Amino acid sequence: MEAQSDAALVAQVIAGDGEAFALLLRRYRDAHLRFATRMLGNRDDADEALQSAFLRAFRSLAKCTEPERFGAWLYRIVVNECRTLATRRAHRERSLVRDAATLETLAERDDPVGSDAVREEIQYALDDLTPEYREAFVLKHVEELSYEEMEEITGVGISALKMRVKRACQRLQALLEEAYHD
Amino acid sequence: MTDRPDPFSETPDERAFLERITPSLKTPETHKSGFEERVMAAVRAETPLRYPGARAPWWRRPRTVRLSPLAGLAAAAGFAGLVALGTLATADRFGAGEKLPVATTVDTVHLIRFAISAPDAHRVALVGDFNAWSKSGTELTASEVAGVWTITLPLPPGRHQYAFLIDGERWVIDPTATVVHDDFGTETSVVTVTGPGAS
Repeated sequence: MEAQSDAALVAQVIAGDGEAFALLLRRYRDAHLRFATRMLGNRDDADEALQSAFLRAFRSLAKCTEPERFGAWLYRIVVNECRTLATRRAHRERSLVRDAATLETLAERDDPVGSDAVREEIQYALDDLTPEYREAFVLKHVEELSYEEMEEITGVGISALKMRVKRACQRLQALLEEAYHD
Repeated sequence: MTDRPDPFSETPDERAFLERITPSLKTPETHKSGFEERVMAAVRAETPLRYPGARAPWWRRPRTVRLSPLAGLAAAAGFAGLVALGTLATADRFGAGEKLPVATTVDTVHLIRFAISAPDAHRVALVGDFNAWSKSGTELTASEVAGVWTITLPLPPGRHQYAFLIDGERWVIDPTATVVHDDFGTETSVVTVTGPGAS
């Protein structure tokens, strides 16, 4: 059976079929979960941000003027929710130790590449970036979006995005240099 | 003329670095159990209210209410705004044309009159969270005053966002009401209905 288009599902929801929203949710939840987890540093916060984003999308669905491009529209909402939660969390606490000394300690553990420890170590470095740099880096090098797509989703100009990605990359390299130094 | 090198392009060293760290970051994540159930429970609870579908919205169903004519509307030509209406006594108390950012209630029915001056319009619609931002569902009618369009709706207590849509394409906010920006940067007007049942 051919999958229904995003536009058809959006129309169904607006016509009163709330169950059609479950299909949209399944279509996008996993891709956005990875983005949210990298942005917020842990799955609990990522789940919270996504739950809030999907509900916000449902409530505003009638304002999705290009339902065939529901994915990009939803991405904007997810990005905004992650920004909001990151700001709230920054005010609440900084529970993770994010400094070079911690990274060096982790590096000394000699964990195999691809292990949870290595990912955790990279996530520490990622968390050390400003939210703007982290967002640009994750969208570009984790989600592999084009700069045009990033501009549409974030509302930030391409030149500024390129600058952020570059700076983020340099900062990560400096932070993780020891971890990958033989 | 030669192209200048892109100052933001990756150096070979940066490329090698990215190749080392990104595979780990690209590892898929899995949701906590019950994620879909939690979201869909909220969606199911809100669906009849937000997207009533073929069923007539509650605010369009016939309802018997005694209304006072909005005396003095003629003097309000050129204004755009909303006025709370209730029974005769309520209307007299507020007077016509008075700007009321907070609507009031009579019994359990909260009647809000929306009005806008749009002399060149062929049709004017009211779009808001109370009608799922439908572009066609809530048309204003031309009043006796040339160029002024009005509609009166019963609204539940709470905060409602709305705007006027002129000729199906021009988005106009209410200059007499509070203006907010929604998640998408769009300006909308706000009316707060207070009274019994308001949270």
